[in-house]
Amino acid sequence: MSKINRDSLRESIDNILKYSTETKKRKFTESVELQIALKNYDPQKDKRFAGTIKLKHIPKPKMKVCVLGDQVHCDQAKANDIPHMDIEALKKLNKDKKLVKKLAKRYDAFLASESLIRQIPRVLGPGLNKAGKFPAPVTHNDVLSTRIEETKATIKFQMKKVLVLNVCVGHVNMTAEELYQNITLAINFLVSLLKKNWQNVRALYIKSTMGPSEKIF
Amino acid sequence: MSGKSAAKAAQFASNLPHLQNLMKRDPISYKDEFWKQWQYFHSLMQTFQLQPSKYNEKLDEMITFLAQVSHCYKEEVSQLPETLSNILKNHSTTLDRTMRMTLIKAVIMLRNKDLISATSVLQLFFKLLRCEDKLLRKTIYQYVVSDIKNINAKHKNARLNSALQTYMFSVLQETNGVMVKTALDIMIELYKRNIWNDAKTVNVITTACFSKITKVMVAAIKFFLGKDVEEQNEDSDSETEEPPKKTAKTLTLGHRVAKKTKKRKKKLERALEAVKKHNKNKSQAEAFNFSALHLIHDPQDFAEKLFRQLEKSTERFEVKLMMIDLISRLVGIHKLILLNFYPFMKRFVQPHQREVTRLLLYLAQGSHEVVPPDAVEEVLKAIANNFITERNSSEVMAVGLNAVREICARCPLAMSDDLLQDLVQYRTHRDKAVIMAARSLIQLYRKVNPELLHRKDRGRPTEAMKELKVLSYGQTEANSFVSGAEVIPDMEAKKEQAEHEQGEWESCSEEDDDSDGEWVDVYHSSDEEAEKDKPEETEEDQKLREKKAEEVSTTRIMTDEDFKAINMAQISKDINPAKSSANRRKRKRQEALGDENSRELPTLGDIELVHKKKAHDRESRLATVAAGREGREKFSHGPQKMNPHASTTNKDKAKKKVFTMVKHKIRRKKVKRSFKEKQIALRNSLIKRNKNARK
Repeated sequence: MSKINRDSLRESIDNILKYSTETKKRKFTESVELQIALKNYDPQKDKRFAGTIKLKHIPKPKMKVCVLGDQVHCDQAKANDIPHMDIEALKKLNKDKKLVKKLAKRYDAFLASESLIRQIPRVLGPGLNKAGKFPAPVTHNDVLSTRIEETKATIKFQMKKVLVLNVCVGHVNMTAEELYQNITLAINFLVSLLKKNWQNVRALYIKSTMGPSEKIF
Repeated sequence: MSGKSAAKAAQFASNLPHLQNLMKRDPISYKDEFWKQWQYFHSLMQTFQLQPSKYNEKLDEMITFLAQVSHCYKEEVSQLPETLSNILKNHSTTLDRTMRMTLIKAVIMLRNKDLISATSVLQLFFKLLRCEDKLLRKTIYQYVVSDIKNINAKHKNARLNSALQTYMFSVLQETNGVMVKTALDIMIELYKRNIWNDAKTVNVITTACFSKITKVMVAAIKFFLGKDVEEQNEDSDSETEEPPKKTAKTLTLGHRVAKKTKKRKKKLERALEAVKKHNKNKSQAEAFNFSALHLIHDPQDFAEKLFRQLEKSTERFEVKLMMIDLISRLVGIHKLILLNFYPFMKRFVQPHQREVTRLLLYLAQGSHEVVPPDAVEEVLKAIANNFITERNSSEVMAVGLNAVREICARCPLAMSDDLLQDLVQYRTHRDKAVIMAARSLIQLYRKVNPELLHRKDRGRPTEAMKELKVLSYGQTEANSFVSGAEVIPDMEAKKEQAEHEQGEWESCSEEDDDSDGEWVDVYHSSDEEAEKDKPEETEEDQKLREKKAEEVSTTRIMTDEDFKAINMAQISKDINPAKSSANRRKRKRQEALGDENSRELPTLGDIELVHKKKAHDRESRLATVAAGREGREKFSHGPQKMNPHASTTNKDKAKKKVFTMVKHKIRRKKVKRSFKEKQIALRNSLIKRNKNARK
């Protein structure tokens, strides 16, 4: 027996979409978020779980990804009009904390060439890591644009200082089916991460940025 | 009238506790008396002001008295708190010891009656800490903790708390060691008691880690390391209320039998309430206690500062060790990049170094996958060179290998294939500890990166190994499916078949039907057969499986049973050899589920695992002996008598006789002559015959 009824999940997705596309349309694209409250979980004893999963549909299409590349990747990026930086540009930052912080703020994610990535902590200092935006590697075999799409579709579950998690799983311009798939995948993955699976879940909500939340579990 | 009251006053003056009792019962009618005492107090005060260092017994009693009755005459004594605190403020160090304690107790009493504000008392008391009086300091410490606890007992008073906290934090910046230490102790105590367990307190305690006063610094570091967790546990155990022994039902039944009085009724009500309260407590969500390390706002900065302090510090080795411990924990838990830490630690990686196992442990704590592999690699090489060589004793080698394993478990990329293959060769060493350590290293790399191992060390390839992706630096595994989800359709199909056989379609609930859905047939028919047709799995199969898993994990919400099945499948992948999906055995090994990863930090035991474990110790040996004896008749030689009651033979009896009784008989026994005796006898007889013949 499933913990969440399929129909009720579909219904709440419809409600959310209806609210933010018809009832109260905002001047921007609202995102749809999944909120999870945990229980029976001792943050001191149990391991902090963290996991990443690639959703089927990109939740945040506007995400900005910067390529920190070697010559080949920089050329590719230039051709595809993707923001990029080479090692010289990085060295120019001179480990200056403020500049690195600015760089980290400007983009949502980073990709780095495989030859380069090992030097990044030495060149940039801990700034990127601190912002939680440590670059992911790209090889020369990968196609840059698909790699970027992948990065955009990837979401990260990470528990911080409270027993509540919040992840973006989509936006209101998606169809109900797409949202359904993303939400299901996210829930399944999250629950598989937990030690006692559903017994660790107190509640699940979905909501759009400005809309009311819908309790689904 | 006046004469009477004067006499009364005189009588009460000698017996203040009596008056105090009367006043508490009926404050209004004793107002006059109070006024007299109040005036008397003022005159006493004036004399006291002249000589504040002298002990004044009258005043002492009077202060206690006034504090006791203060709540009855709130308006009249509105000046009292200020007067008392002024004395304490102005003459803090010069006051007589007993007098000072009385004053403090009076202030505490006034505070308990809420006639004076918490912040002003706190400030006053912190000033008093300057006095060199142990008892006083202890009283103040205990009082402050209990006062803040009481303030927050029912609900947290955020504004007051933040005011008190800001004051405490300002105290931490002071130079007076005692004040700083007490403030820190109070904050730590309050954190442990879950009263001030917010990030603000924790972050102020971080500032104490940089104190110039060693005691303060050590206390703060110990707080973060959580050294006295056991103590805290004991405290909390004693603090939790004992559960009421009786249930509500037994209580009401007990009430039914005896005489029904008002008192008994009240008693019952109280008991029932207690039971109810207890049950309520049980059902409430437990308060979660994030360890202080997680609440630090800027761990990177904190770790860097601590490291700078460590490099410069000239403290004792133990203190340095603690600092290293804290830094490494910060680095490990928050995944910080602190590149200088590793070369610094390299210095300590020597077998003869004091507390070397701890230092190795800290190294392991401080390594994680975001650290550039080359930084850790240097340390690994240092360990390999200094510890894991034949010239060292086997314990040292085992410690080194264990340390390498712990570091590599956190930062697998740091290992190069040459080094690993060298280290792994110690699996045939003569010492068991070394063998075990080397084997554990092999086990680790079989899971993480079998490519680095020599081909024969990789072990039998399992299904899990085929799915294994070796992560390069900075890469995170991001699948688009829940791994193992591909088994669900199979399981579902099997269940359905079973249901078919039993003909239980009716009992199947509506919802079950719903969740099974249309897709079951599709997968079952096509993919299962496809799998059976091909014994060997190809790349395409792998992809197909992934697709299947993705499909499943995006269309249905999995239940606990599904997760169980997935877990089973994942475990069997670990166990089962690759490609033979036909003879898949179902081994139920729940305990094999990744329990090893449940800890955040390594333990010292992991590195010090060098003792030889004997196959059999004395106890287990004796146990096996005892087990063998069970159900066996008493051991004896030879065939036993057919009839245990039959008499014994003479031969048996002779065996039991005392030796002296049978000695002569044994002698008399006919003994065959030996060859030598016969020879002598023959010779003698021949000589004799010869002699006779000559005659």
